Amino acid sequence: MPKVKMPRSNPSLDMTPMVDLAFLLVTFFMLTSSFRSPEPVLIDPPASTTEKEMPKQVFLVTIDETGRVFIDITNAAVKQNVLRKMMKEYKVGLTDEDVKKFIGSGPLGMQMAQLPAFLALETEKRNKVAEAAKGVPYDTAQKIRNCELFKWTLNARIEADNDFKQREADAEAKNQPFDKDNYMQFVVKAAKDTKYNVVKSVIDVLREARVSQFQMITGLEAKPE
Amino acid sequence: MAEIQSGGDSSGKGGKKRAKKQSTKVDMTPLVDLAFLLLTFFVLTSTFSKPKVLRMIFPEKLENQPNVKRPEVKDAVTILVTGDDRIFYYTGAISAATQLVETDYTKNGIRKILKEKNIGLLTELKKLQDKLNKTDEKDTAATNAIDREVKLKQKESKLVVLVKNDDKATYKNIVDVMDEFMICQVAKYFVTDEGFLPLETKLISQMPSK
Repeated sequence: MPKVKMPRSNPSLDMTPMVDLAFLLVTFFMLTSSFRSPEPVLIDPPASTTEKEMPKQVFLVTIDETGRVFIDITNAAVKQNVLRKMMKEYKVGLTDEDVKKFIGSGPLGMQMAQLPAFLALETEKRNKVAEAAKGVPYDTAQKIRNCELFKWTLNARIEADNDFKQREADAEAKNQPFDKDNYMQFVVKAAKDTKYNVVKSVIDVLREARVSQFQMITGLEAKPE
Repeated sequence: MAEIQSGGDSSGKGGKKRAKKQSTKVDMTPLVDLAFLLLTFFVLTSTFSKPKVLRMIFPEKLENQPNVKRPEVKDAVTILVTGDDRIFYYTGAISAATQLVETDYTKNGIRKILKEKNIGLLTELKKLQDKLNKTDEKDTAATNAIDREVKLKQKESKLVVLVKNDDKATYKNIVDVMDEFMICQVAKYFVTDEGFLPLETKLISQMPSK
């Protein structure tokens, strides 16, 4: 009987298509993804059927179950200007480097007075401190206009307005189209189980700073029918 | 997987010198490794969908404009939101004889009630929507006219809903109610600043508990 000879196949595979595919996907994800911004607290927002997307430029107010408030401004230029104003108002001295660190440090959840010590920490330690922070003070029992949250909001509103005008003037000077809808909006992100009265008292502070429109972040829910 | 570089080992007969046949294939395994590593990284770190937002408008505070009189609402529906996901409503002005009705957040609860109360506006809007579907999208004059009509109908709508909450109501409850308003196309609703009236608290306390 003749020996059955197995055809000797080459053990190596042509991997070119696989590499092509992999890099295609990498490119796709790189271009479409926006990175998750650092969050000091994990918030589980309630769901709704709305289909409106979050605006590009926001003043984000995060409220957790215990009523701590964290604020963040997505526009770096505005954030910097607001911080400089706040430094003057509360007589807190920060170096230019500290200001830069502040812009990259994500949502703020502490008193102005605690900022210098916080920014002096190393990045890894900072996250822990930010998690344990008490939130931006907004005691409404006292005069609303004296609380830090009010000052942040007011200054942010003023600076965002200036920034908008500046961008409009720039666009006009360069004869470029200007996106009029790209202005800073106030977004509230609160956890499901936060008491509504807590959310309301935070909103009251913002209302005092003449903000009347809010976008509430919600999870997605299927539309009925 | 790796390519095995065979041949070219000219240790045989030391006679003719042959040009080495170099393989044109490159070992791509590390490249694939790297590609998939990057892929995994981007898949895990990227947030795909942008968060959705629900718009809420709060009027200026009344303290800032003391001369404005609070509008009196006669046929309004008042929704009372309280803890334990409980929700009540009544129609018209409150009096000791008012009957509170308990409902819930399901499809057959508050949504059904709002839809029944808002049936006038809902049918009008449905008609307009059908009209819009029939008209050509490029015909901006016609679509704008329909848009204006929708706004007008919303403005004329008779249904007014008030939402009140107490200390125990959660943020989720209020967002759920807002969401129902959106689904039922309620054009006029207000979330009031002050909590329950004493009479409302009393009526709720008389309701049988779940």
